[in-house]
Amino acid sequence: MYARRAAQLLQELSSCEEGQLPPYNGDKFDQVIRECEEHSRQFQSLIRDKDIETKNEDHYGSFIHHLSIIRNKRCLMAYMYKRAEVIQSYRWNVGRVLPREIQDKLNFSEQEYFKDYCGVIDSYMKDLDLDLTVDMVPPKDPYIRVRVLSEIGEVSLGDHAVSLTKDSFHFLRRTDAEPFISQVLLHSIILMLNFECVIIF
Amino acid sequence: MPGYYDISDILMEDEAVSVVFHVGANGVGLLDPGTETNSVEKGAKIDLPFWLAHELCRRRAVSITIPSCFGQKMKKDVQADAACVDLGTRYPYFYEFGCKLFPLVGDKSIGPFLRHTFANRYKEMLSKSHTASLNAIPKFVLRLSKEEYQLFEAARSSMVEFKKWRVRDLGLMKTTIVGHKRKTDLH
Repeated sequence: MYARRAAQLLQELSSCEEGQLPPYNGDKFDQVIRECEEHSRQFQSLIRDKDIETKNEDHYGSFIHHLSIIRNKRCLMAYMYKRAEVIQSYRWNVGRVLPREIQDKLNFSEQEYFKDYCGVIDSYMKDLDLDLTVDMVPPKDPYIRVRVLSEIGEVSLGDHAVSLTKDSFHFLRRTDAEPFISQVLLHSIILMLNFECVIIF
Repeated sequence: MPGYYDISDILMEDEAVSVVFHVGANGVGLLDPGTETNSVEKGAKIDLPFWLAHELCRRRAVSITIPSCFGQKMKKDVQADAACVDLGTRYPYFYEFGCKLFPLVGDKSIGPFLRHTFANRYKEMLSKSHTASLNAIPKFVLRLSKEEYQLFEAARSSMVEFKKWRVRDLGLMKTTIVGHKRKTDLH
C-alpha cells in the first residue's frame, strides 16, 4: 500500500544499465493498478455525503488516499515513459529489427510502439531522401580511400575527372564516393594499415 | 529542477520521515501498524514516505521531525572526517533530500550543514576521481551519495576521453613503422 510497490517497479528499472531494459513486469504493474482502485474505493466511502469544507478526520483520510493515487499514477507514468525512451533509442542504436533477447523484454504494446516509431522515422527519412541512422557520430576524415569493384569508366567529380577502372584505388572525398558505395560499385577501405601491406607485397 | 518523469526524484521522495500528526485521519489505518481501528489518532508518531509527509505538512496536518541523517550524531561524524562518512549505503539521496526538507522543518542549520559536508567531501573526491582506473571501482565510491556519484562518473569519463585524445595521433605513427618491414606471408 501507499506506493511501495510502485517504487519497487521503479527501483527495478533504475537498477538496469543505461540503455538497457529489464523485462516488462506486468504483474507488478497490475498490482499497482489494483492498489489504486482500492484507494479509490476507500476515498469514495470517506467522501460520501460529507461537506467538502469541514476539515475533519474523514477529510484527511480521503486526502491521503487521493495523494496515494496521484503518487501511484506518477510512478506508473514514469515507468512507461522511461521504457518508451529506451525503445526509441533502440531504433537508432540497434536498427529496424530487434534481436530476440530484447524483444522478449517488451510487452505487446511496446512492440507495437516500436513498429510505429520505426514507421514514423522511415516516412520522415523518405521525405528527406536521407538515411539519418548512418553516421551517428560525425566522421573524422572528409576523404576516404576506395577500391573499385566493377568497371565504371570516366567519372567527373567536381572539378576533375577520375577514371574508375576495376580494382583501382582512389582517394576521394567522402561525399563524392558515397553514391557509388551505396550502389556497391566501390568498396571503402578504412584501415590504412591493410592498404600499406598490400602495396609492399 | 527535477521533472515529473524523473525517476531519481521519485525514488528520493520515497525516503521515510518520522512525523507527528496534528489531526486524526480516518480510513488510513495501514499507515500506523500499531492501531486497532482503521484510523490514525491525533498526536500519533508515524513513519511516512516523504511525498506524503511533504503534502500533509504543507496543509499543516503533520509536523516533520528532523531525521537522523541531519541530527547531532551525523554532525559530529562530519566534523570528525567528512570524507569517511558513508552516504552511499545509508543516505544515498542526502543532498537532494536535505534541500527538499529544509523549507518544511524549522531548523535553519541544515543548509549550511549540507554545504559544509559537500565542500569537505569534494576535495578528496576530485583528486581520487581523476586518478581512478576504469575497471576497478575504488572502495570510496560506495560511500558516495547519488549526486556525488554522478560527478565522479563525469570526471572519470572526461579523463578517459582526455587519454584517448592524447594517443589519437600515435595510430598513424605506428602504421608507417610497420610499413617498412617486409611481409612474407599475407592473409
